[in-house]
Amino acid sequence: MTTPPTGFLEEADLHAFVDGILDPDQRRRVEEHLAQHPEDAALVESWQRQNAAIRAVYEPILREIPAPSLRSAAAQVAAPSGTIESGATHWGRPGVLPRVRRREDILAQQRRQAIFASVLAVLSVAAVTALATFIFAGRGEHRPITAASAPQGYVARAGLTYATYVSDQHPVEIDASRLEELSSWLKARVGFYKVPDLSQQGMRLIGGRVAPGVAAPAGFLIYERPDGGRVGLYFERSVATISQQASKSGSGMTAIEWRTADFAFVLIGPLSLDLMQVAAEKAAAQIISASQP
Amino acid sequence: MRLLFAGKYMSNYADILVELSEATPVFRRYARALGAGVGLVVADGLVHSALQGLGARLRAREVTPNDAEAARIEAYKAITSLAAHKYQVASCPGPRHPPIVHGLAALDFTDRAVLLLVSLEGFGYDAAADIASISRETVFMRLQRARALLANSTANSGGIPQVSAARSSAHLRVVK
Repeated sequence: MTTPPTGFLEEADLHAFVDGILDPDQRRRVEEHLAQHPEDAALVESWQRQNAAIRAVYEPILREIPAPSLRSAAAQVAAPSGTIESGATHWGRPGVLPRVRRREDILAQQRRQAIFASVLAVLSVAAVTALATFIFAGRGEHRPITAASAPQGYVARAGLTYATYVSDQHPVEIDASRLEELSSWLKARVGFYKVPDLSQQGMRLIGGRVAPGVAAPAGFLIYERPDGGRVGLYFERSVATISQQASKSGSGMTAIEWRTADFAFVLIGPLSLDLMQVAAEKAAAQIISASQP
Repeated sequence: MRLLFAGKYMSNYADILVELSEATPVFRRYARALGAGVGLVVADGLVHSALQGLGARLRAREVTPNDAEAARIEAYKAITSLAAHKYQVASCPGPRHPPIVHGLAALDFTDRAVLLLVSLEGFGYDAAADIASISRETVFMRLQRARALLANSTANSGGIPQVSAARSSAHLRVVK
Protein backbone atom coordinates (compact mmCIF):
# COMPACT_ATOMS: atom_id res chain seq x y z
CA MET A 1 0.00 0.00 0.00
CA THR A 2 1.38 3.43 -0.88
CA THR A 3 0.09 6.84 0.05
CA PRO A 4 0.31 9.33 -2.83
CA PRO A 5 1.23 12.89 -1.92
CA THR A 6 -2.41 13.94 -2.27
CA GLY A 7 -3.33 11.45 0.50
CA PHE A 8 -5.77 9.62 -1.78
CA LEU A 9 -6.21 6.00 -0.82
CA GLU A 10 -7.35 3.26 -3.18
CA GLU A 11 -10.68 1.65 -2.40
CA ALA A 12 -8.80 -1.62 -2.13
CA ASP A 13 -7.04 -0.22 0.92
CA LEU A 14 -10.33 0.63 2.56
CA HIS A 15 -11.68 -2.89 1.96
CA ALA A 16 -8.45 -4.34 3.33
CA PHE A 17 -8.83 -2.12 6.39
CA VAL A 18 -12.36 -3.38 7.02
CA ASP A 19 -11.23 -6.98 6.53
CA GLY A 20 -8.31 -6.62 8.93
CA ILE A 21 -5.57 -7.72 6.56
CA LEU A 22 -3.32 -4.66 6.77
CA ASP A 23 -0.11 -4.60 8.75
CA PRO A 24 0.10 -2.10 11.64
CA ASP A 25 1.79 0.63 9.57
CA GLN A 26 -0.73 0.35 6.75
CA ARG A 27 -3.59 0.33 9.21
CA ARG A 28 -2.33 3.46 10.92
CA ARG A 29 -2.08 5.29 7.58
CA VAL A 30 -5.64 4.34 6.70
CA GLU A 31 -6.87 5.49 10.10
CA GLU A 32 -5.16 8.85 9.60
CA HIS A 33 -6.75 9.13 6.16
CA LEU A 34 -10.20 8.31 7.50
CA ALA A 35 -9.83 10.94 10.21
CA GLN A 36 -9.37 13.56 7.49
CA HIS A 37 -11.85 12.23 4.94
CA PRO A 38 -15.32 11.77 6.46
CA GLU A 39 -16.85 10.41 3.25
CA ASP A 40 -14.40 7.53 3.18
CA ALA A 41 -14.93 7.06 6.91
CA ALA A 42 -18.68 6.77 6.31
CA LEU A 43 -18.06 4.24 3.53
CA VAL A 44 -15.88 2.11 5.79
CA GLU A 45 -18.44 2.35 8.56
CA SER A 46 -21.20 1.17 6.24
CA TRP A 47 -19.18 -1.90 5.29
CA GLN A 48 -18.46 -2.60 8.93
CA ARG A 49 -22.18 -2.37 9.70
CA GLN A 50 -22.86 -4.81 6.84
CA ASN A 51 -20.41 -7.26 8.38
CA ALA A 52 -22.00 -6.82 11.79
CA ALA A 53 -25.48 -7.40 10.35
CA ILE A 54 -24.34 -10.60 8.63
CA ARG A 55 -22.71 -11.89 11.80
CA ALA A 56 -25.75 -11.00 13.91
CA VAL A 57 -27.94 -13.20 11.70
CA TYR A 58 -25.66 -16.21 11.45
CA GLU A 59 -23.54 -16.28 14.62
CA PRO A 60 -26.34 -17.90 16.69
CA ILE A 61 -26.00 -20.98 14.51
CA LEU A 62 -22.71 -21.70 16.24
CA ARG A 63 -24.60 -22.31 19.48
CA GLU A 64 -26.79 -25.03 17.93
CA ILE A 65 -25.75 -28.63 18.50
CA PRO A 66 -25.16 -30.43 15.20
CA ALA A 67 -26.61 -33.88 14.77
CA PRO A 68 -24.03 -36.62 15.49
CA SER A 69 -24.44 -37.92 11.94
CA LEU A 70 -23.38 -34.52 10.64
CA ARG A 71 -20.34 -34.28 12.90
CA SER A 72 -19.13 -37.68 11.70
CA ALA A 73 -20.02 -37.17 8.02
CA ALA A 74 -16.41 -37.09 6.86
CA ALA A 75 -15.83 -40.51 8.37
CA GLN A 76 -18.93 -42.02 6.80
CA VAL A 77 -18.95 -44.05 3.60
CA ALA A 78 -21.60 -42.78 1.23
CA ALA A 79 -24.37 -45.15 0.11
CA PRO A 80 -23.43 -46.76 -3.20
CA SER A 81 -26.63 -45.66 -4.87
CA GLY A 82 -25.74 -41.98 -4.54
CA THR A 83 -25.17 -39.17 -2.13
CA ILE A 84 -27.63 -38.87 0.70
CA GLU A 85 -28.26 -35.16 0.60
CA SER A 86 -29.48 -34.80 4.09
CA GLY A 87 -27.92 -35.09 7.51
CA ALA A 88 -30.54 -37.71 8.11
CA THR A 89 -30.88 -41.41 8.63
CA HIS A 90 -32.82 -42.94 5.81
CA TRP A 91 -34.73 -46.15 5.99
CA GLY A 92 -34.67 -47.37 2.46
CA ARG A 93 -34.59 -45.06 -0.55
CA PRO A 94 -38.06 -44.11 -1.80
CA GLY A 95 -38.16 -43.97 -5.55
CA VAL A 96 -35.12 -46.13 -6.22
CA LEU A 97 -36.67 -49.60 -6.04
CA PRO A 98 -35.51 -51.93 -8.81
CA ARG A 99 -37.90 -52.22 -11.72
CA VAL A 100 -37.86 -56.01 -11.84
CA ARG A 101 -37.86 -57.98 -8.63
CA ARG A 102 -37.27 -61.69 -8.46
CA ARG A 103 -39.61 -63.89 -6.53
CA GLU A 104 -36.78 -64.73 -4.17
CA ASP A 105 -36.28 -61.01 -3.43
CA ILE A 106 -39.96 -60.56 -2.69
CA LEU A 107 -40.03 -63.56 -0.33
CA ALA A 108 -36.87 -62.34 1.37
CA GLN A 109 -38.43 -58.93 1.93
CA GLN A 110 -41.55 -60.50 3.39
CA ARG A 111 -39.41 -62.52 5.79
CA ARG A 112 -37.52 -59.37 6.80
CA GLN A 113 -40.76 -57.53 7.45
CA ALA A 114 -42.03 -60.37 9.62
CA ILE A 115 -38.81 -60.37 11.60
CA PHE A 116 -38.96 -56.61 11.95
CA ALA A 117 -42.50 -56.84 13.28
CA SER A 118 -41.39 -59.42 15.83
CA VAL A 119 -38.42 -57.32 16.92
CA LEU A 120 -40.71 -54.33 17.14
CA ALA A 121 -43.03 -56.19 19.49
CA VAL A 122 -40.10 -57.08 21.76
CA LEU A 123 -38.78 -53.52 21.71
CA SER A 124 -42.22 -52.17 22.51
CA VAL A 125 -42.33 -54.27 25.68
CA ALA A 126 -38.83 -53.10 26.57
CA ALA A 127 -39.82 -49.48 25.98
CA VAL A 128 -42.89 -49.80 28.20
CA THR A 129 -40.78 -51.42 30.91
CA ALA A 130 -38.19 -48.64 30.66
CA LEU A 131 -40.93 -46.03 30.93
CA ALA A 132 -42.42 -47.73 33.96
CA THR A 133 -38.99 -47.81 35.58
CA PHE A 134 -38.53 -44.13 34.79
CA ILE A 135 -41.89 -43.25 36.31
CA PHE A 136 -41.75 -45.35 39.45
CA ALA A 137 -38.06 -44.94 40.18
CA GLY A 138 -38.26 -41.17 40.37
CA ARG A 139 -41.09 -39.21 38.87
CA GLY A 140 -39.94 -35.91 37.42
CA GLU A 141 -36.30 -36.54 38.22
CA HIS A 142 -33.74 -36.06 35.47
CA ARG A 143 -31.40 -39.00 35.52
CA PRO A 144 -28.22 -38.59 33.55
CA ILE A 145 -28.13 -41.08 30.71
CA THR A 146 -24.74 -42.11 29.40
CA ALA A 147 -23.97 -43.35 25.94
CA ALA A 148 -23.45 -46.79 27.44
CA SER A 149 -26.91 -47.01 28.96
CA ALA A 150 -28.87 -45.20 26.25
CA PRO A 151 -30.79 -47.89 24.39
CA GLN A 152 -31.14 -46.18 21.02
CA GLY A 153 -30.56 -43.00 19.05
CA TYR A 154 -33.38 -40.56 18.44
CA VAL A 155 -34.15 -41.77 14.93
CA ALA A 156 -34.38 -45.38 16.04
CA ARG A 157 -36.65 -44.38 18.91
CA ALA A 158 -38.77 -42.26 16.60
CA GLY A 159 -39.15 -45.25 14.32
CA LEU A 160 -40.19 -47.45 17.19
CA THR A 161 -42.73 -44.85 18.30
CA TYR A 162 -44.04 -44.49 14.77
CA ALA A 163 -44.41 -48.22 14.30
CA THR A 164 -46.08 -48.56 17.69
CA TYR A 165 -48.73 -45.89 17.41
CA VAL A 166 -49.34 -44.76 13.86
CA SER A 167 -51.52 -47.71 12.86
CA ASP A 168 -53.14 -48.08 16.24
CA GLN A 169 -56.89 -47.73 16.61
CA HIS A 170 -56.20 -44.82 18.97
CA PRO A 171 -52.97 -43.34 17.63
CA VAL A 172 -53.13 -40.17 19.72
CA GLU A 173 -54.06 -39.33 23.28
CA ILE A 174 -55.33 -35.81 22.57
CA ASP A 175 -56.70 -35.02 19.15
CA ALA A 176 -56.29 -31.84 17.15
CA SER A 177 -59.66 -30.45 18.19
CA ARG A 178 -58.16 -29.88 21.66
CA LEU A 179 -54.98 -28.17 20.50
CA GLU A 180 -54.56 -25.94 23.54
CA GLU A 181 -54.92 -28.89 25.87
CA LEU A 182 -52.42 -30.85 23.77
CA SER A 183 -49.90 -28.00 23.87
CA SER A 184 -50.25 -27.59 27.63
CA TRP A 185 -49.82 -31.30 28.20
CA LEU A 186 -46.72 -31.53 26.01
CA LYS A 187 -45.24 -28.47 27.71
CA ALA A 188 -45.74 -30.01 31.14
CA ARG A 189 -44.47 -33.49 30.26
CA VAL A 190 -41.91 -32.94 27.53
CA GLY A 191 -40.92 -29.30 27.89
CA PHE A 192 -41.77 -28.27 24.35
CA TYR A 193 -45.21 -27.37 23.12
CA LYS A 194 -45.11 -25.71 19.69
CA VAL A 195 -47.27 -27.84 17.39
CA PRO A 196 -46.13 -27.12 13.82
CA ASP A 197 -48.83 -26.44 11.27
CA LEU A 198 -48.08 -28.55 8.18
CA SER A 199 -51.44 -28.04 6.46
CA GLN A 200 -49.76 -26.22 3.58
CA GLN A 201 -47.78 -29.40 2.94
CA GLY A 202 -51.02 -31.38 2.82
CA MET A 203 -50.58 -32.83 6.31
CA ARG A 204 -53.49 -32.47 8.70
CA LEU A 205 -52.73 -32.79 12.39
CA ILE A 206 -54.53 -35.74 13.95
CA GLY A 207 -53.24 -35.12 17.45
CA GLY A 208 -50.41 -36.08 19.75
CA ARG A 209 -49.23 -38.04 22.69
CA VAL A 210 -46.37 -38.48 25.11
CA ALA A 211 -44.17 -41.48 24.36
CA PRO A 212 -41.13 -43.10 25.94
CA GLY A 213 -38.03 -41.22 24.85
CA VAL A 214 -34.40 -42.18 24.81
CA ALA A 215 -33.51 -40.22 27.93
CA ALA A 216 -36.69 -38.32 28.81
CA PRO A 217 -40.39 -38.29 27.92
CA ALA A 218 -40.87 -37.56 24.25
CA GLY A 219 -43.65 -35.88 22.35
CA PHE A 220 -45.14 -37.46 19.26
CA LEU A 221 -47.43 -35.67 16.86
CA ILE A 222 -49.19 -37.50 14.04
CA TYR A 223 -50.20 -35.88 10.77
CA GLU A 224 -52.31 -37.42 8.02
CA ARG A 225 -52.24 -36.80 4.27
CA PRO A 226 -55.32 -36.93 2.02
CA ASP A 227 -54.15 -40.33 0.73
CA GLY A 228 -54.20 -41.68 4.28
CA GLY A 229 -50.44 -41.75 4.71
CA ARG A 230 -49.31 -40.71 8.18
CA VAL A 231 -46.24 -38.76 9.20
CA GLY A 232 -44.95 -38.52 12.75
CA LEU A 233 -42.99 -35.71 14.41
CA TYR A 234 -41.03 -37.03 17.36
CA PHE A 235 -39.26 -34.64 19.74
CA GLU A 236 -37.33 -35.02 22.95
CA ARG A 237 -34.97 -32.89 25.01
CA SER A 238 -31.58 -33.71 23.53
CA VAL A 239 -28.64 -35.09 25.46
CA ALA A 240 -25.18 -34.49 23.98
CA THR A 241 -23.87 -37.84 25.16
CA ILE A 242 -26.30 -39.81 23.03
CA SER A 243 -24.68 -40.92 19.80
CA GLN A 244 -26.45 -41.79 16.59
CA GLN A 245 -27.21 -45.46 16.19
CA ALA A 246 -26.80 -47.27 12.90
CA SER A 247 -29.91 -47.13 10.76
CA LYS A 248 -32.10 -50.22 10.76
CA SER A 249 -33.38 -51.91 7.64
CA GLY A 250 -36.79 -50.94 6.38
CA SER A 251 -38.39 -49.93 3.14
CA GLY A 252 -40.18 -46.86 1.90
CA MET A 253 -39.59 -44.80 5.06
CA THR A 254 -37.70 -41.56 5.42
CA ALA A 255 -36.56 -40.02 8.69
CA ILE A 256 -35.07 -36.55 9.03
CA GLU A 257 -33.43 -35.53 12.29
CA TRP A 258 -32.43 -32.08 13.42
CA ARG A 259 -31.68 -30.34 16.67
CA THR A 260 -32.66 -26.89 17.82
CA ALA A 261 -33.66 -25.14 21.02
CA ASP A 262 -32.08 -27.97 23.08
CA PHE A 263 -34.43 -30.50 21.55
CA ALA A 264 -33.97 -33.31 19.05
CA PHE A 265 -36.65 -33.61 16.39
CA VAL A 266 -37.31 -36.47 13.98
CA LEU A 267 -39.86 -36.27 11.20
CA ILE A 268 -40.65 -39.77 9.98
CA GLY A 269 -43.04 -41.07 7.37
CA PRO A 270 -43.60 -43.06 4.17
CA LEU A 271 -42.92 -40.15 1.82
CA SER A 272 -40.18 -39.23 -0.61
CA LEU A 273 -37.13 -37.37 0.62
CA ASP A 274 -38.18 -34.20 -1.20
CA LEU A 275 -41.60 -34.06 0.44
CA MET A 276 -40.20 -34.87 3.85
CA GLN A 277 -37.51 -32.20 3.56
CA VAL A 278 -40.05 -29.53 2.68
CA ALA A 279 -42.21 -30.54 5.64
CA ALA A 280 -39.17 -30.70 7.93
CA GLU A 281 -38.11 -27.21 6.83
CA LYS A 282 -41.56 -25.88 7.57
CA ALA A 283 -41.70 -27.51 10.98
CA ALA A 284 -38.17 -26.40 11.86
CA ALA A 285 -38.92 -22.78 10.90
CA GLN A 286 -42.01 -22.70 13.12
CA ILE A 287 -40.16 -24.33 16.00
CA ILE A 288 -37.25 -21.89 15.77
CA SER A 289 -39.66 -18.98 15.59
CA ALA A 290 -41.49 -20.20 18.69
CA SER A 291 -38.26 -20.71 20.64
CA GLN A 292 -36.92 -17.21 20.01
CA PRO A 293 -37.65 -14.61 22.70
CA MET B 1 9.68 -46.17 4.87
CA ARG B 2 6.33 -46.80 3.26
CA LEU B 3 4.90 -48.17 6.52
CA LEU B 4 6.17 -45.13 8.43
CA PHE B 5 4.52 -42.80 5.93
CA ALA B 6 1.29 -44.77 6.10
CA GLY B 7 1.39 -44.62 9.89
CA LYS B 8 1.97 -40.88 9.86
CA TYR B 9 -0.82 -40.37 7.34
CA MET B 10 -3.26 -42.43 9.38
CA SER B 11 -2.44 -40.37 12.46
CA ASN B 12 -2.88 -37.20 10.46
CA TYR B 13 -6.12 -38.56 8.97
CA ALA B 14 -7.50 -39.17 12.44
CA ASP B 15 -6.56 -35.63 13.47
CA ILE B 16 -8.24 -34.26 10.36
CA LEU B 17 -11.46 -36.11 11.14
CA VAL B 18 -11.44 -34.66 14.65
CA GLU B 19 -10.85 -31.19 13.26
CA LEU B 20 -13.67 -31.52 10.73
CA SER B 21 -16.01 -32.79 13.43
CA GLU B 22 -15.20 -29.89 15.74
CA ALA B 23 -15.56 -27.40 12.89
CA THR B 24 -19.05 -28.62 11.96
CA PRO B 25 -20.77 -25.59 13.58
CA VAL B 26 -18.86 -23.13 11.39
CA PHE B 27 -19.52 -25.23 8.30
CA ARG B 28 -23.24 -25.11 9.12
CA ARG B 29 -23.07 -21.36 9.58
CA TYR B 30 -21.36 -20.89 6.23
CA ALA B 31 -23.79 -23.17 4.39
CA ARG B 32 -26.80 -21.37 5.88
CA ALA B 33 -25.40 -17.97 4.95
CA LEU B 34 -24.45 -19.17 1.48
CA GLY B 35 -28.00 -20.33 0.95
CA ALA B 36 -29.33 -16.93 2.04
CA GLY B 37 -32.72 -18.01 3.27
CA VAL B 38 -32.63 -21.76 2.65
CA GLY B 39 -33.87 -23.89 5.49
CA LEU B 40 -31.56 -25.46 8.02
CA VAL B 41 -32.34 -28.99 6.88
CA VAL B 42 -31.28 -28.23 3.30
CA ALA B 43 -28.16 -26.44 4.51
CA ASP B 44 -27.26 -29.29 6.86
CA GLY B 45 -27.82 -31.73 4.03
CA LEU B 46 -25.38 -29.78 1.92
CA VAL B 47 -22.75 -29.85 4.67
CA HIS B 48 -23.32 -33.57 5.17
CA SER B 49 -22.86 -34.34 1.47
CA ALA B 50 -19.81 -32.09 1.18
CA LEU B 51 -18.07 -33.63 4.20
CA GLN B 52 -18.93 -37.14 3.08
CA GLY B 53 -17.42 -36.43 -0.32
CA LEU B 54 -14.35 -34.88 1.28
CA GLY B 55 -13.96 -37.90 3.53
CA ALA B 56 -13.99 -40.19 0.50
CA ARG B 57 -11.34 -38.07 -1.19
CA LEU B 58 -9.21 -38.10 1.94
CA ARG B 59 -9.39 -41.88 2.15
CA ALA B 60 -8.51 -42.16 -1.53
CA ARG B 61 -5.70 -39.63 -0.94
CA GLU B 62 -6.99 -37.43 -3.72
CA VAL B 63 -6.45 -34.58 -1.27
CA THR B 64 -3.71 -34.67 1.34
CA PRO B 65 -4.00 -31.64 3.63
CA ASN B 66 -0.90 -31.16 5.74
CA ASP B 67 -2.69 -29.92 8.81
CA ALA B 68 -6.04 -29.13 10.34
CA GLU B 69 -6.23 -25.66 8.80
CA ALA B 70 -5.64 -27.04 5.32
CA ALA B 71 -8.35 -29.63 5.97
CA ARG B 72 -10.82 -26.92 6.94
CA ILE B 73 -10.07 -25.06 3.73
CA GLU B 74 -10.70 -28.26 1.78
CA ALA B 75 -14.04 -28.55 3.57
CA TYR B 76 -14.96 -24.97 2.67
CA LYS B 77 -14.00 -25.71 -0.94
CA ALA B 78 -16.25 -28.76 -0.94
CA ILE B 79 -19.18 -26.84 0.55
CA THR B 80 -18.75 -23.93 -1.84
CA SER B 81 -18.47 -26.17 -4.88
CA LEU B 82 -21.52 -28.22 -3.93
CA ALA B 83 -23.52 -25.12 -3.05
CA ALA B 84 -22.71 -23.57 -6.44
CA HIS B 85 -24.50 -26.53 -7.96
CA LYS B 86 -27.32 -26.87 -5.41
CA TYR B 87 -28.07 -23.17 -5.06
CA GLN B 88 -28.13 -22.45 -8.79
CA VAL B 89 -31.64 -21.11 -8.49
CA ALA B 90 -31.49 -18.08 -6.21
CA SER B 91 -33.35 -18.59 -2.98
CA CYS B 92 -36.27 -16.38 -2.12
CA PRO B 93 -36.09 -15.64 1.61
CA GLY B 94 -39.38 -15.40 3.43
CA PRO B 95 -40.65 -12.03 4.61
CA ARG B 96 -39.49 -12.68 8.18
CA HIS B 97 -35.86 -12.74 7.17
CA PRO B 98 -33.99 -9.48 7.88
CA PRO B 99 -33.07 -7.15 4.98
CA ILE B 100 -29.46 -8.29 5.01
CA VAL B 101 -30.54 -11.84 4.11
CA HIS B 102 -32.64 -10.56 1.23
CA GLY B 103 -29.66 -8.53 0.10
CA LEU B 104 -27.40 -11.58 0.21
CA ALA B 105 -29.95 -13.63 -1.75
CA ALA B 106 -29.96 -11.01 -4.51
CA LEU B 107 -26.18 -11.30 -5.03
CA ASP B 108 -24.52 -13.46 -7.64
CA PHE B 109 -23.48 -16.76 -6.01
CA THR B 110 -19.73 -16.18 -6.23
CA ASP B 111 -20.06 -12.58 -5.04
CA ARG B 112 -21.98 -13.86 -2.03
CA ALA B 113 -19.48 -16.63 -1.37
CA VAL B 114 -16.51 -14.27 -1.46
CA LEU B 115 -18.24 -11.75 0.81
CA LEU B 116 -19.13 -14.44 3.35
CA LEU B 117 -15.71 -16.07 3.26
CA VAL B 118 -14.08 -12.75 4.08
CA SER B 119 -16.67 -11.02 6.26
CA LEU B 120 -18.26 -13.94 8.11
CA GLU B 121 -15.68 -16.71 8.03
CA GLY B 122 -12.68 -14.40 8.44
CA PHE B 123 -10.52 -15.69 5.59
CA GLY B 124 -7.88 -13.56 3.94
CA TYR B 125 -8.05 -12.78 0.24
CA ASP B 126 -5.63 -15.59 -0.74
CA ALA B 127 -7.59 -18.25 1.15
CA ALA B 128 -10.90 -16.93 -0.19
CA ALA B 129 -9.48 -17.09 -3.72
CA ASP B 130 -8.38 -20.69 -3.14
CA ILE B 131 -11.77 -21.71 -1.75
CA ALA B 132 -13.80 -20.00 -4.47
CA SER B 133 -11.40 -21.17 -7.20
CA ILE B 134 -10.80 -17.66 -8.50
CA SER B 135 -7.81 -15.34 -8.62
CA ARG B 136 -6.91 -12.94 -5.83
CA GLU B 137 -7.68 -10.00 -8.10
CA THR B 138 -11.12 -11.39 -8.80
CA VAL B 139 -11.73 -11.74 -5.07
CA PHE B 140 -11.34 -8.03 -4.60
CA MET B 141 -13.55 -7.20 -7.59
CA ARG B 142 -16.31 -9.48 -6.34
CA LEU B 143 -15.98 -8.17 -2.79
CA GLN B 144 -16.26 -4.58 -3.96
CA ARG B 145 -19.29 -5.40 -6.10
CA ALA B 146 -20.99 -7.42 -3.38
CA ARG B 147 -20.62 -4.66 -0.80
CA ALA B 148 -21.89 -2.01 -3.18
CA LEU B 149 -24.92 -4.06 -4.23
CA LEU B 150 -25.65 -5.07 -0.66
CA ALA B 151 -25.54 -1.42 0.45
CA ASN B 152 -27.99 -0.48 -2.31
CA SER B 153 -30.41 -3.30 -1.64
CA THR B 154 -30.49 -2.88 2.14
CA ALA B 155 -30.85 0.89 1.79
CA ASN B 156 -33.85 0.41 -0.50
CA SER B 157 -35.45 -1.93 2.01
CA GLY B 158 -34.83 0.39 4.95
CA GLY B 159 -31.74 -1.39 6.21
CA ILE B 160 -28.21 -0.06 6.36
CA PRO B 161 -28.09 3.52 4.99
CA GLN B 162 -26.53 3.91 1.58
CA VAL B 163 -23.27 5.82 1.51
CA SER B 164 -22.08 8.06 -1.25
CA ALA B 165 -20.80 6.14 -4.27
CA ALA B 166 -18.03 8.69 -4.82
CA ARG B 167 -15.45 5.92 -4.96
CA SER B 168 -17.33 3.81 -7.44
CA SER B 169 -15.07 4.86 -10.31
CA ALA B 170 -11.81 4.56 -8.37
CA HIS B 171 -9.04 2.71 -10.11
CA LEU B 172 -8.76 -0.80 -8.80
CA ARG B 173 -5.51 -1.93 -7.31
CA VAL B 174 -4.89 -5.02 -5.27
CA VAL B 175 -3.20 -4.48 -1.93
CA LYS B 176 -0.08 -6.64 -1.88
